[in-house]
Amino acid sequence: MAQKISEKVSEILGKIKTCMGFQKKGNKVDSFKLITSPAVLFVLALFAGMLIVYFYNAMPAFNREGLSVYLKDVWRAVENPSEEYYGLASAIWGSIYTSMIAILVALPLSIAYSIFVVDYAPKRIKNTLIITSDVMAGLPTIIYGIWGAFVLVPFLKDYVMTPLHRYLSFIPIFSYPPITGFSYFSAGILLGIMVTPFASAIIREAYQMTPFAYREAAFSVGMTRYEATKVMLGYIKPAMFSGVILAFGRAIGETVAVSLVIGNTFNLSANLFAPGYTISSLIANQFGNAFIYSHMLPVLYAAGLALFFIGLLVNSAGLYLLRRWEKNVSI
Amino acid sequence: MSVSNFRKAKEKAFLIAVGITTLIAILPLFHIIATVLMNGLPPIVAKGPVFITGTLSEGGIGPAIVGTFMLTFLSSLIGLPIAFLVGVYAYEYPKSAIGRLTKALLQIMLEFPTILVGVFVMDIIAIPMGTYSAFAGAFALAIILMPYVAVYTHEAMRQIPFTYREASFGLGLTKFKAVFRVLVPVSKRGIMTGVLIGMAKVAGETAPLLFTTGGLYQSYPHSISQPVGAIPLLIYTLVQSPSASDHAMAWGASLVLLLIFLAVFIPIRRSLKEVKL
Amino acid sequence: MNEYAIETKNLKISYGDNEVIKGVDLKVLKNVVFALMGPSGCGKSTMLRAFNRLLELNKDAVVEGEVLLFGENIYSPDIDPIEVRRDVGMVFQYPNPFPHLTIYDNVAIGLKLNKLAKNKRELDERVRWALEKAALWDEVKDRMGDYPSDLSGGQKQRLVVARALAMKPKVLLMDEPTANIDPVGTKKIEELLFELKEDYTIILVTHSPAQAARVSDCVGFLYLGELIEVGSTKDIFEKPKNELTEQYVTGELV
Repeated sequence: MAQKISEKVSEILGKIKTCMGFQKKGNKVDSFKLITSPAVLFVLALFAGMLIVYFYNAMPAFNREGLSVYLKDVWRAVENPSEEYYGLASAIWGSIYTSMIAILVALPLSIAYSIFVVDYAPKRIKNTLIITSDVMAGLPTIIYGIWGAFVLVPFLKDYVMTPLHRYLSFIPIFSYPPITGFSYFSAGILLGIMVTPFASAIIREAYQMTPFAYREAAFSVGMTRYEATKVMLGYIKPAMFSGVILAFGRAIGETVAVSLVIGNTFNLSANLFAPGYTISSLIANQFGNAFIYSHMLPVLYAAGLALFFIGLLVNSAGLYLLRRWEKNVSI
Repeated sequence: MSVSNFRKAKEKAFLIAVGITTLIAILPLFHIIATVLMNGLPPIVAKGPVFITGTLSEGGIGPAIVGTFMLTFLSSLIGLPIAFLVGVYAYEYPKSAIGRLTKALLQIMLEFPTILVGVFVMDIIAIPMGTYSAFAGAFALAIILMPYVAVYTHEAMRQIPFTYREASFGLGLTKFKAVFRVLVPVSKRGIMTGVLIGMAKVAGETAPLLFTTGGLYQSYPHSISQPVGAIPLLIYTLVQSPSASDHAMAWGASLVLLLIFLAVFIPIRRSLKEVKL
Repeated sequence: MNEYAIETKNLKISYGDNEVIKGVDLKVLKNVVFALMGPSGCGKSTMLRAFNRLLELNKDAVVEGEVLLFGENIYSPDIDPIEVRRDVGMVFQYPNPFPHLTIYDNVAIGLKLNKLAKNKRELDERVRWALEKAALWDEVKDRMGDYPSDLSGGQKQRLVVARALAMKPKVLLMDEPTANIDPVGTKKIEELLFELKEDYTIILVTHSPAQAARVSDCVGFLYLGELIEVGSTKDIFEKPKNELTEQYVTGELV
């Protein structure tokens, strides 16, 4: 068995070598490959290393609780190891819930932004709008965080959450009393604001790529701008979809800004105004003291592993769909 | 009302709705800048230059500013050469299996949750070293920096017209010389942009530093194997404190961070057409 | 020494399933201007790039058969394409001096990077020599530190010629060198060819029969990947043997 594995390994190594071209032309060394390949291998190794570190460190959690560590909603951090129990359901729920709110906020904003920038804005305003959006996308997230915690949350609490709760609390999602304002809702709105410029960039670029001939065709049959826009939007639907997926991926990975406004409480609820946790805010908050307990650390690695795969899956899917659409359009 | 009037009214309503929504989309930035100015200026004015040069107990964020510059510099030192080489590789072998894998990986790393990088680096550097350190923080930031620089390098080189590639190889240059001595200099502007954007990005990162760099706010850093602070990390800590004076410090620090970011980012952004973030 | 500068034996070039050069046998004498003419898309530029192995920049291109450079097969496995390209200079369809280098450095770059000059003085001399050969020296001698962006199209193209000549190649390949420059520049380039053929063998790709008639000693007519006819310029234009050739030189076949 071991021999088989080592044979396989050397075979794969050989393939990699030929693939990277070390054996090109007898004994002549290609100095280009010699200098670039180590860097490439380093990056590939980093990525693989990350996967291994998370998997290895999460193993004890899987051994102890199996995959149900992702499905249970408990968090019992106690001194007696045999009474410790952890489950990640509420954090996973929180990540998905807040990111969904975020894209619900970001989608209409970024579509309107794209239409305005491409179709209506005069050139100078157009440039200003694009630069503004790019600055928003690059702004350090901690600045969103402090603004969110000290400005956005009190505002949402006083002017949105309290009235909604007062008059519509018979609707289940509004039923939780907004005492602090730190909640899924606040986190979702803040994330929405943060990912809007990102989704905008994707949708705007796609919208700009729509062939002018289509637009001309729409106008030539007597459509108004509004009607033409509606047709064009149908045309870039796949790109909008990728934009939404990628924005979701970005929202789910965000840490510090969310952690400052979500309330950091274990909770599995659809109540918009209830505090909660996300996977990344859970790691940010619990990692520091996880070392005190016997079984908590592997669970946090398991959480990281989940985030790893969600991030990988969502981002690859989004990028794949976007590239495929771009390819179809450019032909 | 005739049909065409109705259509025109609808058109107008649509334009107004789109305009207002666009305004809502960008309004937060101006509100953020305004509130950071309003809340950040008073503590800075009250403390004077000490806010920039003093330690935390003196009422300043000097060590955090130095820490941010130190981390940015160190992470560039680690990340730039590697990222540059990876970008060049991806340009040179766009069709090979590894070239394509690398390209896909870079795109994914660009979007990857940064907190995961922090925990990973804690595992492979901070724990073996037995301490948080500037080096660990810089390494984590380097991992964030690399995809930006690599993707920009790759893009910049892809823009080079094929004829220059033919010209350099036509002179009988080796691949190494044709690429590094001729084609890279042709695209140096685009590559530099990537470098600056990557640096601006990592200077504002918080999550990768949470479990790697520790924090140092009462004295200035003097070694890369010791913990250092950073402005974003300091803000994160201060915001979570219950004390109002800490909150004021956090606003002041945010203003400093915002100014550093805008000072780097706006000139780069104005000097080129498209930016990938 | 071999009397032919370039000789191909059953040269075939294909991209995937698409064969663009279909078995060409060609002999080019030394110290002549040889014009390879034919309508656009007939494979001229592709074939030209097989003569200095520049085709290898395109990974999809597959070359079969032989190309002999002064009797030596440049596709034999022990030949390094980099060496081949030092002996075979090339001028391109689009004037492409490197935009980030000064006029001086554009000429010097090949020498510098291939370490072909012993010292600065030798380098200066060779740069001057190449620019004189390319009939550009008088126009640029006072602005060697400028960038080529201010030069006219024709000047840029002569700068590219100087860049190639500085390497002292044995053969000079020119891929429609006047396609993107003005008539005055074109005239200067054409005049240059007469000067250069004393020392070099020049293979000129052109889609213009008129240009081939003006400047070349021998002509090959390439049509849809096949070499239809080769001969002295006089013969080809005055008594072509093949009907297609006749149609082409009289302008009926485009």
